[in-house]
Amino acid sequence: MSMTLYHGQPNGPSLTVLAALFEKGVDADLQFLDLAAGERHALPVAGQTEVAMSIEGEGPVLLVDGEAMADSVFVGCYLDDIGSGPSLRPADPYKRWQVMMWCRQIIERLAPAAGYLGIHEASAPDISDDRLPRIQSEDLRARWADWRDGKFEDEKLEDSRVKVTQAVEKCEAQLNGHDWLFGDFSLADLETYAWLAGMVTVVPSAFVAAPRTMDWLARTKARPSVKRALAQASQDSPEASWAPGPEINRWG
Amino acid sequence: MNDVTLYHWEPNANSGKPMLALMEKDVAFDSHYLDLLNFDQHDPKYLAINPQGTIPAMTHGDLVLTESTAIMEYIDEAFDGPRLMPEDAKEQWRIRWWMKFMDQWLAPSFSMFGWKFFVGPNAREQRGEDELEAAINRIPLPERRVAWRKAVYGLFSDEEMAESGRRIGLGIRMLEEELGKREWLASDNYSLADVNGFNLAYALPLSQPELSNDELTPNIMRWLRAIYARPATKACWAMGKTDMVKRVDILEQDYIA
Repeated sequence: MSMTLYHGQPNGPSLTVLAALFEKGVDADLQFLDLAAGERHALPVAGQTEVAMSIEGEGPVLLVDGEAMADSVFVGCYLDDIGSGPSLRPADPYKRWQVMMWCRQIIERLAPAAGYLGIHEASAPDISDDRLPRIQSEDLRARWADWRDGKFEDEKLEDSRVKVTQAVEKCEAQLNGHDWLFGDFSLADLETYAWLAGMVTVVPSAFVAAPRTMDWLARTKARPSVKRALAQASQDSPEASWAPGPEINRWG
Repeated sequence: MNDVTLYHWEPNANSGKPMLALMEKDVAFDSHYLDLLNFDQHDPKYLAINPQGTIPAMTHGDLVLTESTAIMEYIDEAFDGPRLMPEDAKEQWRIRWWMKFMDQWLAPSFSMFGWKFFVGPNAREQRGEDELEAAINRIPLPERRVAWRKAVYGLFSDEEMAESGRRIGLGIRMLEEELGKREWLASDNYSLADVNGFNLAYALPLSQPELSNDELTPNIMRWLRAIYARPATKACWAMGKTDMVKRVDILEQDYIA
């Protein structure tokens, strides 16, 4: 089996998949992409449906025997199944449901908010007019165009800060008496860390009364798999590196 | 009394997913029907079970589960019966990718059209605006009141409807292409992706006849009819109480052009 992981700076979904790969001891050829320059859309596999239409936005792509896999949580499940070492999901069906439900809420609520606030903080992308049309997904392309043109809505920014704050509140409650979100270290810790780590400086107020979450962030960052993922960065402060993420729910 | 109770509305969209999964696995369950348009989901008795007030929810002994797709994965893992997820890890990834794509990108557009042209007008006709308004005003969360008012009265902007229409057209083309690759959606085996997809798409040849029929989308039509022919699907749709689920009858026609 030949495996190549195309990943961006270790933040957001790229961080989840890189760390999951290292947690599970899976060998893959690592290829760096400058996601903020639109390089994902120049990949030979950019046209495969699951890459072009991934609603995660600018996430990593795992190429396994010619099939390009996207969506970090589900790629994480795949690596969990094929790799070795402790499982990233509980074996008990109910506990597994809890972890997957948590991940789903992170995907639906925190990820769009963090992605929106993240690109709002980052400088506008240097993406040329000829590269934009390469982005097949029309709604993702619109998010790129808004970023480039500095078009952000105050209402969405404010709602995103609320969503980040709510995610921290949930972590704070969940970490009461626990080192990890769900007993043993799991995919939920990875996915949550990956979207939340970069928010500490962007929405500092969310973390003021969250000592357990701050400790957990430090604990997660110190894990060998996460350290190794962060060492793949080609710039300082990878947690400040963003590209358009999932869209904000159209139904509000 | 069974160990499992499912709180659901019609076998349609989110409610139909765990209903059909339970029936495919032949798991006995107590059916607790909630009338979405009577806002039964905001009744304090139901909120005591699922404080989010979303439908469906399932109890298994003392455990409470929510979110239809996540419930389906639990059902497949926790109970005996035919597996609805293949063994192969990559197939599982593909199935999950397609379920997320349908749940989060495609289904909201389908439901916007469904509320605008079918559910909303029917609800207004059957219940009257005063009764609906009173029910909406009883919803505890303000943002949920806004969303419900929008749905019931079809208050979507032209841009929102155009974008949903674009997604429906593109989504149908994507499903057609994907179903041309394999017998079932995203897998060579009947799986949760098919259970999910059928709940989304069973009425397509009725609601979108210009986009989905035997000439334009033969793979979708083959797939819908194959799922409709399964005994579990027949039994599940027989649990419906309204005209909405009778739309499934269109799949009894041999050819729709």
